[in-house]
Amino acid sequence: MSREPLIQIQDLNVEYRTVRGAVRAVENVSFELYENEVFGLAGESGCGKTTVANAMTRLLKPPAYITGGKLLFRDADILSLDAEQLRAFRWDQLAIVFQSAMNALNPVLTIGNQIIDAMQAHQAISHEEARAHAKRLLRTVGIDMARVDSYPHQLSGGMRQRAVIAIALALNPELIIMDEPTTALDVVVQKQILQEIKDLREQFGFSILFITHDLSLLVEISDRIGIMYAGKFVEAGPAHEIFRDPKHPYTNRLMNSFPTVHGPRRELLGIPGAPPDLIEPPAGCRFHPRCDVAIAGECDRIVPPLIRIGGQRDVACHLVKAEEAVS
Amino acid sequence: MSQIAKGKQPVLEARDLSKDFHTGGAFSGGIVKAVQGASFKLYRGHVVALVGESGSGKSTIVRMLARLHEPTAGEIFYNGEAVLSQRGRRALLRYRSQVQMVFQDPFGSLNPVHRASHAVQRPLKIYNKGLNRQKLRDKLEELFAMVSLTPVDEFIEKYPHQLSGGQRQRIAIARALAAEPEVILADEPVSMLDVSIRLGILNLMARLRDEQGIGFLYVTHDLASARYFADEILVMYAGFIVEQAPAEALISDPQHPYTQMLLAAVPDPNRGLKTEAIEMEGEIPDLTSLGGGCPFAPRCQHVMDICNQAMPAATTLEDGRWVRCYLYEDELAPA
Repeated sequence: MSREPLIQIQDLNVEYRTVRGAVRAVENVSFELYENEVFGLAGESGCGKTTVANAMTRLLKPPAYITGGKLLFRDADILSLDAEQLRAFRWDQLAIVFQSAMNALNPVLTIGNQIIDAMQAHQAISHEEARAHAKRLLRTVGIDMARVDSYPHQLSGGMRQRAVIAIALALNPELIIMDEPTTALDVVVQKQILQEIKDLREQFGFSILFITHDLSLLVEISDRIGIMYAGKFVEAGPAHEIFRDPKHPYTNRLMNSFPTVHGPRRELLGIPGAPPDLIEPPAGCRFHPRCDVAIAGECDRIVPPLIRIGGQRDVACHLVKAEEAVS
Repeated sequence: MSQIAKGKQPVLEARDLSKDFHTGGAFSGGIVKAVQGASFKLYRGHVVALVGESGSGKSTIVRMLARLHEPTAGEIFYNGEAVLSQRGRRALLRYRSQVQMVFQDPFGSLNPVHRASHAVQRPLKIYNKGLNRQKLRDKLEELFAMVSLTPVDEFIEKYPHQLSGGQRQRIAIARALAAEPEVILADEPVSMLDVSIRLGILNLMARLRDEQGIGFLYVTHDLASARYFADEILVMYAGFIVEQAPAEALISDPQHPYTQMLLAAVPDPNRGLKTEAIEMEGEIPDLTSLGGGCPFAPRCQHVMDICNQAMPAATTLEDGRWVRCYLYEDELAPA
């Protein structure tokens, strides 16, 4: 893996201004995404993972506001791009596949024409060339080339999602953001598409920001992952290390919330309570009201900073700090 | 975990249930064979999971058992009594009080203009006539406590929008319990909840199974949660139940090629993304144009000539499990 950061996010803050007050959806989030890397963002609904992706692509619309932080693509400041630069950035360098993307296809245009549109809007390319390329792209994502003239309703959900991935690949981007790209799909179709994504990455070498609530899936596909809770990073690091040895109590409890088909069957506990209201998030560590190892007087008062604990691992927890200090 | 009471009477039994839906338009019409010949038994204090992908027919089975859809063929037995021939409002009411449902969407299944108490009180009044005010209140508090919505006084007064998804699903379960059912049909009851909340609901249902002896039919697309909660798993594909086995046996030693493929597709963090030994080609067939053979044949690595001719009957294996696949019929089994 090359060590050149493609995307750098520094101290990102996003809030949604509602009639009840400001929802602090993302607070002081920082991470880098390197070239040819899959970075996974995990967390429950409302933890801010999609908001991070939308901030990166400047897709946030009022009432959402970026209230602080820096977003860099290589050396370019994403937040200061003008409309024309933004348009170029969004397709040439970056593409997005949403969870409901398969429903975002235009129902009155053929799949082929939608791919051709994306190409012709950004490149000087003849219709014939674009069509030939569209056919190759469809074949690449595992769709029969003859389907180039099919309409979306003639394809199954899995095929439509593949078509969306084909459109995302049309301009050979350096980064593809995939926000729950397989969540609406059945598990066998999900597996087929993930396999396809893996093959495509070997072929084209793009980076992926992969967002999902399904930790098993995320660990399987990602090089590094970040775990979000209530708008903040609680833990980040190499996927398999976090899976083997989670440091943050939330990560630990989350991993023990998933029944699995692998290994012995065991009793699982889940996490008591529910994620907090982000208009008035809990003081101190946002997880402390649900944490069974919280230190009274510390976790409920002092915000734990995200600290490097060796290797490439970052954790935001008072307990981990204490443990490291002793050893 | 509860034992299958061999020789005991099942509380609910489906025998050869089938359901056809007619689709029609000005230009096309057809028959969707949503469920074909589904048979299984559900015992008290026992959980049967019905697992399959979208469109496999699992919800249709639930709807037939809840008597929301009239089966095209087959029979439903409740404590040994055939129920489909029982007509009339009172018979239906009695059956529905014993066989309750919990739906997938806790955001859509509670009336937003009524307090939580309303949802739970209604079945108490309908199925349990003659409760006086005090008895009704006692019963209500007992039910809220049973699903761990405490402090009870506080939750009884809340409106659905003041509750989280998990809390709403607990109300939906309390509502089902109010009728004092023997069976609860739970159709994807946790799939819309946050991952940290799901376990709480599954553990609650497991407790109700153990403490109240309720039989659950648990419908899910998630094999892992089926393994966690169920005693027995049924796997559906394109309208057919293709395999039935005790939960652990099914997970550790799947027999039907479709079950094997489904298990291989479950994400495994220990494995990392690597090419599978099992090919995952193709998609679920169109249920309007099924041939006479096994619907999985076009995707099956072990396909034989006979597979395209007729759907195999169930072959009984050890431990009371069975599979509908020609690979396991003795005379055809490969050496």
